[in-house]
Amino acid sequence: MVGVPKMNAVLDFFNAHRKGTIYSLIVLVAAYTFYFIDGVRSTTMLEFAWRFSIPLVLAALTGLIGERSGVVNIGIEGQMLTSAFTGFFVAAFTGSLIAGMFAGVLTGLAMGYFLAFVAVKWQMDQIIAGVVINIVAAGITSFFYVPGQILTQQMPRFAVPLLSDIPLIGPVFFNRGFFGLATIVIVLTLNFMLFRSRWGLRTRASGEYPQAADTAGVDVIKLRIANVSLAGLLAGTAGAYLALEAAGTFERGFTGGRGFTALAILIFGAWYPMRALAAALFFGFATALASQLQADKVVDIPQQFINILPSTLTLLVLAFAAGRVRPPAAVGAPYSKGNA
Amino acid sequence: MIAKRLAALAAVATLALAACSSDPSASSSAPAPTDSNCAAAENLCIGLVTDTGKVDDKSFNQSAWEGAVAAADELGGFAKYIETVDSKDYASNMQQFIDRDYDVIVTVGFLMAEATVEAANANPDIVFIGVDQDQSAGTVPNLTGLVFPEDQAGYAAGFLAAKISTTGKLGQVLGLEIPPVQKFALGFEAGAKAANPAVEVTTVYHPFEGDGFNDPEWGANEASKQLGQGIDVIFGAGGNTGNGALREIAKAEGAGTSIFCIGVDADQWNTVPEAQPCLVTSAMKLITLGVTDLIKAANDGSIEGGNFFGQTGLADYHDFASVIDQAVQDEVAAIVAGLKDGSIQTGVSLG
Amino acid sequence: MSSVNEAEVDSSSIGRKVWDQVVRYQSIVVPVIALVIAFSIGAILISLQGVSPMTAYQSLFRSALFSPAGLERTFEKATPLILTGLAVAVAFRVGLFNIGAQGQLLTGALASAWAGFTFTSLPGFLLVPVAILFGALAGAMWGSIAGLLKAYRGVHEVISTIMLNTIALGIIEYLISYPLQEPGQVLSRTPAIADQAKLPLFGFLPSGFFLALVSAAIIAWMLTRTTLGFRFTTVGKNKFAAIYAGIKLKHTVVLSMIFSGALAGIGGAIETLGVVHRYESGFNDGIGFDGITIALLARGNPWGTIPAAMLVAILRSGAATLQFDTGIEPEVVDLLLAITLLLVSLPIIAKAIFRDRAIKNDNVTSGWGS
Repeated sequence: MVGVPKMNAVLDFFNAHRKGTIYSLIVLVAAYTFYFIDGVRSTTMLEFAWRFSIPLVLAALTGLIGERSGVVNIGIEGQMLTSAFTGFFVAAFTGSLIAGMFAGVLTGLAMGYFLAFVAVKWQMDQIIAGVVINIVAAGITSFFYVPGQILTQQMPRFAVPLLSDIPLIGPVFFNRGFFGLATIVIVLTLNFMLFRSRWGLRTRASGEYPQAADTAGVDVIKLRIANVSLAGLLAGTAGAYLALEAAGTFERGFTGGRGFTALAILIFGAWYPMRALAAALFFGFATALASQLQADKVVDIPQQFINILPSTLTLLVLAFAAGRVRPPAAVGAPYSKGNA
Repeated sequence: MIAKRLAALAAVATLALAACSSDPSASSSAPAPTDSNCAAAENLCIGLVTDTGKVDDKSFNQSAWEGAVAAADELGGFAKYIETVDSKDYASNMQQFIDRDYDVIVTVGFLMAEATVEAANANPDIVFIGVDQDQSAGTVPNLTGLVFPEDQAGYAAGFLAAKISTTGKLGQVLGLEIPPVQKFALGFEAGAKAANPAVEVTTVYHPFEGDGFNDPEWGANEASKQLGQGIDVIFGAGGNTGNGALREIAKAEGAGTSIFCIGVDADQWNTVPEAQPCLVTSAMKLITLGVTDLIKAANDGSIEGGNFFGQTGLADYHDFASVIDQAVQDEVAAIVAGLKDGSIQTGVSLG
Repeated sequence: MSSVNEAEVDSSSIGRKVWDQVVRYQSIVVPVIALVIAFSIGAILISLQGVSPMTAYQSLFRSALFSPAGLERTFEKATPLILTGLAVAVAFRVGLFNIGAQGQLLTGALASAWAGFTFTSLPGFLLVPVAILFGALAGAMWGSIAGLLKAYRGVHEVISTIMLNTIALGIIEYLISYPLQEPGQVLSRTPAIADQAKLPLFGFLPSGFFLALVSAAIIAWMLTRTTLGFRFTTVGKNKFAAIYAGIKLKHTVVLSMIFSGALAGIGGAIETLGVVHRYESGFNDGIGFDGITIALLARGNPWGTIPAAMLVAILRSGAATLQFDTGIEPEVVDLLLAITLLLVSLPIIAKAIFRDRAIKNDNVTSGWGS
């Protein structure tokens, strides 16, 4: 009889998340079917997708936290770029990856605080603030770029016991470096925090209906400043990942629009952390597919058409399958006490 | 109150003036040769205009600039560059040098070919050198195109790759699909097939338009994917994108023993030292040497219009000289020699 | 304050008059102050590089403004910026954030190039308008996709325009590499347009610049004096009021994106007909994204796009000479722009100077939510 309540809890969970569960199962079945047909291609393509997704997910979560609390952040691209810049150059000059990681992540925090300060405290137009961050970041990192620096260490890779032995998923997700694992943990934690904690409730309230949140005793301005600043940590982590692990270098403008792709992923994921993760993986897999089609020369279509595959698929999915998504209601509007 | 605020406005203005007039004494630190009198016959002034890129790009802009500097040092001349930001400014950037009576103007990249021809026609007294610009039509006497048989370097690299591969699978991680890159890639494939007809060559160009030469992360991801699919020698050719691939391969398990990488353009043992664990050689086009030679020829008047073929070849094996079989090294050397004297043809032509 | 003597009253009344004028024109005063501060910060950066800021700025402006060739270059750069700035500004009016001006500009540039090298038998006075029309239609078509997706499928315009930029680029690169490629050419580019399709130059003034000015005037008139403009503004300000006033929301959204895309498309067409004279890969990079900067600097005001575009064009046009004369990297002008944009948009400057008389800035970008 002891097992029954537990059983009910599991059933409740599936009832509450019926759609998500069904979709996840379909994807899992498809993935493992592919795995049994071609183990090598499925594993390597999924690995490509996941590597590609890591910075995108982190960047999308940066935007997600901001927007859930009512602040648009289109400066993610610039936040990533400056974090990658300081992360790489601190690591290169000190010879320590740890120092570089701290520098990168803290730069993200500083950039987050900058956005929070001008957009929340000074009530500057949030989108302009983001655009300014992007332009300043591109200018500064290009202007102060130092050629000829290299990393002398490399990020360690390690296998998570048990989990890394699962076919397909194991080698892809649990046999990587620190950043990949951290991303999974961050997604799960944020998902839990956002919908199960007091902080999450307050955050969502100040994004949906700040006046009500205020009446209920939430200091909307303080909360938004804290959230947007902390979200900068994630953009910083994304930048550090790009410079220290993924690319192993910093080049001018090498984020190449990933911050904007992350915005698309955030919206594709309908402002939910787990769905953003799924959206990023989808986008990453479409990109892997584009390069695999090129490599295998399976179809004789011009490369340009293969290359627009990820964007076109995303647009089609949004247009025909996903239907309407709704952003937090108060996103973009500065809040000040008494202007309700 | 109002006076105070007006005063504040005035203060901002003074601040601006002060900042502008704070002439630092450092401005006198310019080195000895200058371009103040390029019109004089004894002063050699060399101007370089980059393609939309920077002179420290670890790639062709940097190589060309190093060539210009080397020539200036050797000949006691003066070299200066302008970094193009917008393709529409090619002509006006060249004009900066023309207005100051520069003697030699180097333009880098095949995208600048047309603008260079126009400028050369309009300024017959100035020598123009177009890096990667095909002047086989050769109608402009004061314009020399510095071109390279990239397919030959690629061929030699492909031949070597096929010889050292144990899985029989080779990969290429490339930048944008443009002629110089295509020539490298097709040459690589031809060379690999010549060494071993059974070899499989996987060729992937950067899939996004625009930043195809500046995406090291994609290069690393693609290289990792190819390694996972059993490919054991990868040719990374495409600026920072290819360099990303080299760095990733250098980090992989077995790098330098069962997994190898080949660089491009310059000897990447020096330009991307992180790749040393896997870098057996680089398919080089000696832009630096070619630019220096042409500027020297321009200086002594021996330069001719039309195409000048720069040298290509394989870089030194460095530490891998002791890893690669001597027999293989000899075969590759024979291939390189055969390509040079024309007894071996790559068979590559761009439709 | 209460006990002031006669002399002080006298002097302060003059001061007050001056001050009143300053307050009245604060929408001009604030950007000017922002520019001054930005250039001062720039001066510090430049001196840190061991170069006299005075010399640096002199060569920047001399090259951009004090030579016929420089002026021509500056106006040529300003022209598409005005149009993409207008494109973004029109969408702002309706509460839409059009990141897709780049893709719309590219489709317009290609369509006008196609018209320019296809209808070669037409005389210039017909071919030029036809080519511009093709550019406008192509841009409008591309913009309308985002509008339709937004109105009828609820797809957020930010995501759709980002995707549409990539898709436009891919399709265009295919077209100019295969079916529309110049015969016998290895470069990805179309044949050159017919000679009579090239926009003429009046001295150093490109005629495309006048087209851009006229477009700004028409958009300003349209937004403030017509029913359509009223519809746009109402939808942007208050959707519920718009519905209450009987405005068809979906039509307005689609229509605004058609307008926005057409403006960007005209920008592309003028680039093709006036500057590039064909479509060539890589020659139109970034103009659409600069449109966002322009629209923000102009605070969404159509007339404001003109000085904003001129500022950006002057800085970009002079950057090469700046590097030639002083060795300062051209990226420094982007820093100047960014600081200016930051200061123009920070309400703090106006508040610090004008206190309670500061004009409250509306949020230009009200419409992220839904």
